[in-house]
Amino acid sequence: MKTRVLVLCLLSIAMVCAAPWFGKSLDGESGRFILENLRIPRVLMAVLVGGTMSLVGACYQTIFANPLAAPSTVGTTAGATLGALVAVVLGPVIGLSQAGGLPLTATFAFTGALLVSFAVAAIAARGNTRVNDILLAGIAISLAAGAISAGLQFSADQLQLYAAIQWTLGHLPQVGYRGVVMILPFVLVCWVVLLSQTRGLQTLLGGEERAHSQGLNVPWLRSVVLGVGALGVGACVAWCGPIAFIGLIVPHIVRLGVGASRRVMLPMSLVVGAGFLATCDTLSRLVIPGRELPVGVVTSAIGAPLLVWLVIKQRR
Amino acid sequence: MSSSLQMIGVSVHAREKALLNDVSLRLNEGEFVALLGPNGAGKTTLLRAALGLTKAGGRVLLDDQPVKSLSGADRAAKVAWLPQHSHIAEPITVLEQITAARFRFSESHRDAETGALRALESADAAQFKDRRITELSGGEQQRVAVAGLIAQESPLLLLDEPANHLDPNQQIELYRLIGRLWREGRGVLCITHDVNMLRYVGSDAPIRVIGLSNGRLQFECEYASTELPSHVGALFNVGMEVLDSAGGRLLMPAAHGSTDAERTQA
Repeated sequence: MKTRVLVLCLLSIAMVCAAPWFGKSLDGESGRFILENLRIPRVLMAVLVGGTMSLVGACYQTIFANPLAAPSTVGTTAGATLGALVAVVLGPVIGLSQAGGLPLTATFAFTGALLVSFAVAAIAARGNTRVNDILLAGIAISLAAGAISAGLQFSADQLQLYAAIQWTLGHLPQVGYRGVVMILPFVLVCWVVLLSQTRGLQTLLGGEERAHSQGLNVPWLRSVVLGVGALGVGACVAWCGPIAFIGLIVPHIVRLGVGASRRVMLPMSLVVGAGFLATCDTLSRLVIPGRELPVGVVTSAIGAPLLVWLVIKQRR
Repeated sequence: MSSSLQMIGVSVHAREKALLNDVSLRLNEGEFVALLGPNGAGKTTLLRAALGLTKAGGRVLLDDQPVKSLSGADRAAKVAWLPQHSHIAEPITVLEQITAARFRFSESHRDAETGALRALESADAAQFKDRRITELSGGEQQRVAVAGLIAQESPLLLLDEPANHLDPNQQIELYRLIGRLWREGRGVLCITHDVNMLRYVGSDAPIRVIGLSNGRLQFECEYASTELPSHVGALFNVGMEVLDSAGGRLLMPAAHGSTDAERTQA
């Protein structure tokens, strides 16, 4: 297993390091500018976002004891989408493009993600709440947020609709180092807190009630993971849109590769998620020469068949 | 100070139905209490109430402190629980599982692993340490589950039908292991359907047998008591035959026409 961990780590690090060099040649001053100010911060963004989404996905799958759980399951991405659409549609109406010096879309998306996730985390913090109730609450809130989002899209004009669709497909915007610096504190807090809960999450594998009898405060762990996960995912989604599949599929790849022990699986999800998104983003730049696909399209295109293959392989 | 679990007038209701009705019992460190009862009697509910897993009226005290007022680590330091179904779907190794069972300790991973290995050796399960829990047979899984209890190092053990679904040989092995934990000084509260299994616990110290039906305590006596067969017969509503064997007394359900209703008819 140690060899597999090493190989996956080296592969992910190699993909991250190589990603900025793929694409048009980087000759001269303009090439250097593109490398330093566009591609490197974009890869850094991919590392932060991919690592966070995958780590949070792995933690959610543990607390819900459900292999289909992901940041989208508990309404985080639906809340962010609603917030972003409110900003896209209502921003011009109220004459705002920024909030506190930040882009209005990112600010509203972050707020939306947190509001929805904290509502679900508050439900999860109740001692007598069953795990399926939390999942149902997350799905119900996601559906409600999706309905309002659809209503907003219906009432939007063409330009707003294009902006909304572009945002919901997920992309790693060329926001330079500013975007990286903006999400870094949230992402770091998310990584540190979630990885510090590894022991509890490992104990939770034996079932909620058994873990309770072994001394774990299950409602507290659930709400910490949901709350802190929402903080990290909310920050990522606010800047990059809801990038599909990554929080679902990377934990499965890692589990198959290095086993289900959370001591290995959680940090490895972070590392592999970073490498996976950096790879997908590079492909999104290269697949159609001269045009960029939204990275969410690439993660879905790779993720969906990979997930089907993994499920079939697991059954065998 | 030796540990004790005390339940005083405990009641549990689900909607209108009383799952437990004014139940009082005490388990001290070093004692063995067997809890008998038909399906749906409230036996599992009683253990869940003892752990604070279900909302219950009355008082549940661990070392004279309300169980609800204890932190998770403090509660786990006093009492460990083996649920009826302890299934782990994730393919982690046995050593990883038992290491995780030591959650209550503030210790390094290396120390936790050392403690887990000690527990596995104590349960004669060290040979499974690198195998995935999902690859073990039912008997091996239960042995590993008992190693998890040992790893928790709690003086009181609550066991919910630990030998369920095991073949006779595995049942005997498991009860011998539980008996060893008792003789080492732990207090054991063990739910069982088969009172005869208690002969394999193997100690001269008295075993208390408690009968529970319809959420109420029906009887309490010693395992060696001559009244036990009639109590057990009334509890399960079946006539009991007592057979003397080399290993001790055996209680067997009578073959024909022996329920209360049938006896009344006769």
